Amino acid sequence: MDLGPYVVEGRSPEAAVFPGSVDEVRAVVALAATEGVPIVPWGGGTAASLGTPAARAGLVLGLARMARLLEHEPGDLTATVEAGMPVAALQTALRARGQWLSLDPPDAERATIGGVIAANASGPRRHLYGTPRDLLIGVTVVTGEGALVRGGGKVVKNVAGYDLPKLFVGSFGTLGIIVEVTVKLRPLPDAERLVAVRFDRLKDAGTAVRTVTGSDLIPSALELLDAEAGRSLGSGPGASLVVGFDGLAEQVAWQCDELRRLTAPLGGHGIAPLPDEAWSRLCTAARAAFATPAAVMKLVVLPVTVADVMEQGANAVRQRGLLSAWSAHAGVGVLTAAVFSPGGQADPAAIAAVLEDWRGMAGAGGGYAVLEWAPLTVKALVPVWDAPGAAGRIMQRIKAQLDPLAILNPGRFVAGI
Amino acid sequence: MAMAVLTDARKRDLRRELEALVGRGAVLSDPDELLVYESDGLTLFRALADFVVFPTSAEHVSAIVKLANREDLPFVARGAGTGLSGGCLPAEGGIVISLMRMNRVLEVDYDNQVAVVEPGLVNLHLSWAVGPAGYYYAPDPSSQQACTIGGNIANNSGGPHTLKYGVTVNHVLGLEVVMPDGEIVWLGGKTRESQGYDLPGIFVGSEGTFGIATKIVVRILRKPQAVKTVLAVFDRVEQASAAVSEVIARGLVPAAVEMIDRLTIQAVEDAFGCGYPRDAAAAVLVELDGLAEGMSAQTERIVQACRDSGAREVRAARDEAERQLLWKGRKSAFGAYGRISPAYMVMDGVIPRTKLPYVLARVNEIVASHGLRVGNVFHAGDGNLHPNILYDPRVSGEEERVVQAGAEIMRLCAEVGGSISGEHGIGLEKADFMAFIFSPADLEFMQGLKRAFNPTGRCNPGKVFPTRKSCGEAGPSAYRPHPIEEKGLAQRF
Repeated sequence: MDLGPYVVEGRSPEAAVFPGSVDEVRAVVALAATEGVPIVPWGGGTAASLGTPAARAGLVLGLARMARLLEHEPGDLTATVEAGMPVAALQTALRARGQWLSLDPPDAERATIGGVIAANASGPRRHLYGTPRDLLIGVTVVTGEGALVRGGGKVVKNVAGYDLPKLFVGSFGTLGIIVEVTVKLRPLPDAERLVAVRFDRLKDAGTAVRTVTGSDLIPSALELLDAEAGRSLGSGPGASLVVGFDGLAEQVAWQCDELRRLTAPLGGHGIAPLPDEAWSRLCTAARAAFATPAAVMKLVVLPVTVADVMEQGANAVRQRGLLSAWSAHAGVGVLTAAVFSPGGQADPAAIAAVLEDWRGMAGAGGGYAVLEWAPLTVKALVPVWDAPGAAGRIMQRIKAQLDPLAILNPGRFVAGI
Repeated sequence: MAMAVLTDARKRDLRRELEALVGRGAVLSDPDELLVYESDGLTLFRALADFVVFPTSAEHVSAIVKLANREDLPFVARGAGTGLSGGCLPAEGGIVISLMRMNRVLEVDYDNQVAVVEPGLVNLHLSWAVGPAGYYYAPDPSSQQACTIGGNIANNSGGPHTLKYGVTVNHVLGLEVVMPDGEIVWLGGKTRESQGYDLPGIFVGSEGTFGIATKIVVRILRKPQAVKTVLAVFDRVEQASAAVSEVIARGLVPAAVEMIDRLTIQAVEDAFGCGYPRDAAAAVLVELDGLAEGMSAQTERIVQACRDSGAREVRAARDEAERQLLWKGRKSAFGAYGRISPAYMVMDGVIPRTKLPYVLARVNEIVASHGLRVGNVFHAGDGNLHPNILYDPRVSGEEERVVQAGAEIMRLCAEVGGSISGEHGIGLEKADFMAFIFSPADLEFMQGLKRAFNPTGRCNPGKVFPTRKSCGEAGPSAYRPHPIEEKGLAQRF
């Protein structure tokens, strides 16, 4: 078969297998374990290039044939889904019955529910609804030893045993192959709207973020974009504060009025509605600012420092003769920054220097940074993950206990896991 | 697990050593003093420690843990002791590490909406501390006047407002932890996510078997602009159950949906006179919170959902005093049982919401088949049942029948796709029931996770997993009031 879609960082896997059932997944794992071939669990492949380059490409284990909605009981506000179901397809099925999974990860057409959980991916609405951590209530995995293990359950409140769903969120396929998940749902809101407020100065937009989070408003999303990232949404010069509201129509209307009232004294230029497509473009606004970014980094910082980090980060890039674009889930302190070389071919050392600057800024405030995307020449110079300290040793012990053969996605994760 | 048994002489030496670590007034070893710590809120299980120690810093905790390791002694952290599953019991000997003197709010950061607290802080005291600035801490177990945030961490505690706001883990960002080998580490921090495995996420709810939290970073939330509470009264339990689903189906997520049944209503009315109709089969309490704008429209939608489900009476509280009165009936139920029965056992199971009519009927049948009575008061919105089996411990054989009925109810919850604990934890009480919902492979995987944190098993041994000691013995146990309950300081869940 054509392994082209499964090439990661220039390396082709040894094979790609697409089991159609849990038993087939177990059989594939058993075979790989016997042969000592590493397994790369594969959903939609949207996060495949995130991580430390692997020592050995291994066997891609794709979940594309396990993509059914197994159970949806609207009265329970829960759904049980096979891991390979794309998020957008799941949302369509749920929407038909008046509900949704309150998660809007990037590239939802391709991203699978299992992959989104493994990568802990989320979008703008995490501001109000949280991340996969808050929505996953049950998980079934096949371990690296071929055992079938279930954690959590199908009820929204459950404290029996250790919280294995939490363990698998963001574990990048290193502890088990997620084959089935149960998630919490929400009723669809009556109305929703996305609006933008423009500011001449990023600093004022940052003040507006604090004002909104300290007010009675209950936005579903609170995004801060610099001028570069804002351009990809059709904004003019200056920073943009993009705010989502949902609820009853009168609640949405009241909140828009209130937002205008709160932001006008801070230099906000009115409020403009954005088209529905803007929701999905928000996730990739920084990355899409340039045709070919040289690297993309995610910075996690204290929410109150977001505008300052953006400003300093952009300055650091300018001093090196490069350009950057920034967007942030401002209310939760998660930034995405893309660096771009205007002169054409980017010098890996210069890009690496920028990324180290950014990582230092995140770390100085008690946060951290993850290199979300970069060519191998840059990854050779800058680690993908931050040094995890003492917590890294605990993570290594967890990996050693739960995947003793070290066969699941080895070497690509935090602390060398 | 066999651990060291101390001679009296060795005990005296260790007491002196512990006093050198934490101070003379901070170590108990006289049997009379230790008695207070022989159980938590589940008083059937009792075990005496060798020492109870009151550290005031992470360094103290670390030193105590290292000493326990050196002496091969088991140790367990303890908050207010309001737990209901025997989760903080010592293992017959060893050290109880009481965190009640580590009870400060260390930092409140309103801009970032986080607070850093010590584990012995009483849950409600955090909301008191941040209330004047317009904030609160959302997880609200019904024992929140007494229980500590550290204990909430151990059990991943919930409460009435779990439906909308989630349980403790949804509000914890980071923890400073003394690991079972004495090392002090940070899991997570003040930022909203941390890289790598979700160590704070799995530490919360690990029932004290992964280590001892010594600092906790929690989210604090803005108080809602408006709150509205509705009481709906039903002639049939099935109508009340249907109303719970109907409220959800109308596209709203209430902050809380609670239900109490006829026996409970009557007990509450006998005791407190909260104004619930005595002849009703069930009452449902629905609370909405959020923006003031649209609140009356949402309330109307709730009222209509209850009427359409057959409610004979629906009323919304007009002011805060009336709202408090509606809640009083719900919150005083446990005290009221004491007026109509010498003893009761509180169960904690979870079911899918849509199975409520079937399960409630079956619970009543099961309990009746053992010649007993049951009162139900519970978090209907998230399917977290609390059947309370009433009995008289002086009647020979009655307690055994209660335990048997309790086990059957747990099996029922498992059979309909639910779980054996929504908020009280497994502890000692339900260790043998874990097999109702988890396979041997599931349990082995969890044990592997435990070994990663706690390889020697000295940190809170014997909990969560079936052990030889608990196998074959009684499962859930009978209720006896805890001293802090008798003083009116705490309520069951």
